[in-house]
Amino acid sequence: MENNELISKLKAIIKPYIQDEDAFKNLSEDTDFVKDLKINSANLVDIILDIEDEFDIRLENEDMEKMLDVKSAMAIVNTKLAG
Amino acid sequence: MVGNDIVDINEAKSASNWQRPRFLEKLFTTKEQFTIRNAETPFLMVWQLWSMKEAAYKLYTQQHPSRFYNPKGFECSTEGAISMVRFKTFTCYVATQITPYYIISEARLDVQPITSKVIKFKNTTAKAQSKTIRNTVLKAAANVFGVSKTHLKISTSRHGVPSIHVKSKVQPLSLTHHGNYGAYAFC
Repeated sequence: MENNELISKLKAIIKPYIQDEDAFKNLSEDTDFVKDLKINSANLVDIILDIEDEFDIRLENEDMEKMLDVKSAMAIVNTKLAG
Repeated sequence: MVGNDIVDINEAKSASNWQRPRFLEKLFTTKEQFTIRNAETPFLMVWQLWSMKEAAYKLYTQQHPSRFYNPKGFECSTEGAISMVRFKTFTCYVATQITPYYIISEARLDVQPITSKVIKFKNTTAKAQSKTIRNTVLKAAANVFGVSKTHLKISTSRHGVPSIHVKSKVQPLSLTHHGNYGAYAFC
């Protein structure tokens, strides 16, 4: 999947959970879910479940461990889609 | 060292859905899922166990500076009146208090009663809440350590672990917020 397409799909998934609009507007690969977007850790699991549904993939505990920023989410989705 | 975590009960009801498919399997071990399904109020058990795991994670990352998302790796267990959370070879003790409004857990390396002070926020944005809780901590710390606020500073490491600087000494600090509630604990 093209990076731009992947980022826009991730943006749509993340949007309901963000608590910092400015950081969301300026979202890039380096954006951190918790530090920048102020997403509550209780909602990280919802993002993971939404990603699973959107891309029809399943994330294991090792994948979840790194799911803290946009870059890691992109890498994990790409690896799963390739596999 | 201390780790704490608060869950706003209304927020947990409106901003999360513990009954969505695969939610429990992602966060809780088989044993914990059994505890939840057999609890009198599964909703409360979900969020009690969650706050215990988060409090333990915050204590763990004070001892082992790092950052990761592995709630399932932190397993809660209760023996008599004592609750513990284990992660690999790490073990800590967790005290939890449940009120009609929030659930708060505090993790320590030995058995201790809860020391966390709870704040009810008047403002709703994450930024404003963060400012309120930091100001409250500085005020409280000035009292406890007997220094003026100008000698205190709160900092956050690159792993997101907060601490409070009292003159040249660095004291462990734990901050938590969820919905309309926040809490802090320091040693």
